[in-house]
Amino acid sequence: MAQSTEDDRLLIEAARADPARFVDVYERYVDRIYAFVSRRTGNRAAAEDITSQVFERALAAVGQFEWRGVPVSAWLFRIAAHALADYWRERARDAHEAPADVPDSRELEAIDQRIALYRSVERLPDLQRRVIEMRFVEEKSIREVAAVLDRSEGAVKQLQLRALQNLRKSMGGHG
Amino acid sequence: MAERDLADRLDEIVDAVIARGDATAALRDPELAPMARLAAALRDYPSPEFKATLRLQFQRRTTMTAVTMTAVREGFTTVTPYIRVREAGLADFLVRVFDAQETFSGRGGDGGMHREVRVGDSMIMIGEGGAGRTGIMPIRPVACHVFVKDVDATFARALAAGAASLGEPEDRHYGERAGFVADPFGNRWYIATPTRPDSLASALRTVTPVLHSRDASAYLTFLERALGAVVELRTDVDGPLRYARLRIGDAAIEVSEGDPMPGSFMLYVNDPDERYGHALAAGASSVMALADQPYGRVGGVQDVAGNQWFFSRPAPARS
Repeated sequence: MAQSTEDDRLLIEAARADPARFVDVYERYVDRIYAFVSRRTGNRAAAEDITSQVFERALAAVGQFEWRGVPVSAWLFRIAAHALADYWRERARDAHEAPADVPDSRELEAIDQRIALYRSVERLPDLQRRVIEMRFVEEKSIREVAAVLDRSEGAVKQLQLRALQNLRKSMGGHG
Repeated sequence: MAERDLADRLDEIVDAVIARGDATAALRDPELAPMARLAAALRDYPSPEFKATLRLQFQRRTTMTAVTMTAVREGFTTVTPYIRVREAGLADFLVRVFDAQETFSGRGGDGGMHREVRVGDSMIMIGEGGAGRTGIMPIRPVACHVFVKDVDATFARALAAGAASLGEPEDRHYGERAGFVADPFGNRWYIATPTRPDSLASALRTVTPVLHSRDASAYLTFLERALGAVVELRTDVDGPLRYARLRIGDAAIEVSEGDPMPGSFMLYVNDPDERYGHALAAGASSVMALADQPYGRVGGVQDVAGNQWFFSRPAPARS
């Protein structure tokens, strides 16, 4: 998933010259940042809140970002680590200073695998993807999914099975 | 095993994963274990709706910023505090403490002096003297957040220039080393040096007005409607609002819970008539009817917290 540093440089220079191009930074990195904070919080609402804070802080800081060859992802991970530290501090008033640590190589590998899984979901046939989204994101029951898709519950379970079998195939044993 | 059974058993595992994040029951089953692991990972699958909404927000905000910036007076940003003091001395204090540069000085409309100073990348307007007249803008202290290179040295200069300490410089958890003073006129200066690359400094200019409010959450809604401010950061995910940062064009204001210290602010906008109308509709009252002045079209309102906003479209620069 690593992006070339030249791509990074062009991306940042474009966003500095024209704030409207910040959306390209967001597009490229939202999944990585989301995967990172989601692994650290294990909570969907918090992951969404912190992810949006990270990109807000990045947008505000992009004008002062000095290109020194450091990947944009490393910069965003640092902002995310601080946002996570703030999050944990707010939840534990008496806690000591929460560590603001960026992901190490092992965690980066896990994040890359998570992103590969997200991409595999996006490539699933339409109905299978819809079932995965409704089950795991919207947390709908099989009955509710069946009602939305106008299928039998048995058919939805089959779609869910096919989707997970396909994901297993495309992930080649990772996941 | 029949495929129907497999689909049923997998569904039980998915239910357990969704409800409890627990896929352990399946891990001993060689046929289902790999899919159970995938199901556990899918709990983190980002909501496509969330991503699309956030993308749209950034798209709108960055486009809006570009549009709003067009009407700003040269050398200024969208928001400029206008501080009135009873007698001369504030501009000199800012020069001495913050290394401010005076860019303009002339007779003001209230009989006193109108002065403009630059502090870093920000401007401050000052009305000095003219105490005998009422004027539209009351004489009252305001609060500003100021970023400096060395908070300890600036803090010491402030005390030497007659300020009173409201809090010694200390490392704060929000990524700043900060100390607080009240100048001889009662204005509060929250002086800070960033200690982290993503501190608030990265989102703020050198000087940012801080508005204190007793019901900050309701006040934010007003600022959004009246000023077209965009809330960028708020700290009330699961509690009362303690702090918020709002963007207005190319500048920001900060709102924090506390005893109100209302001030007066110049706001450069593309369409003062439209903004004035929005502010009145949102509950503000007029303090200065819209009119064409030599320096541009301007109208002023006072909001529910007592802050005054003067919407202005600067006159075209004469060359």
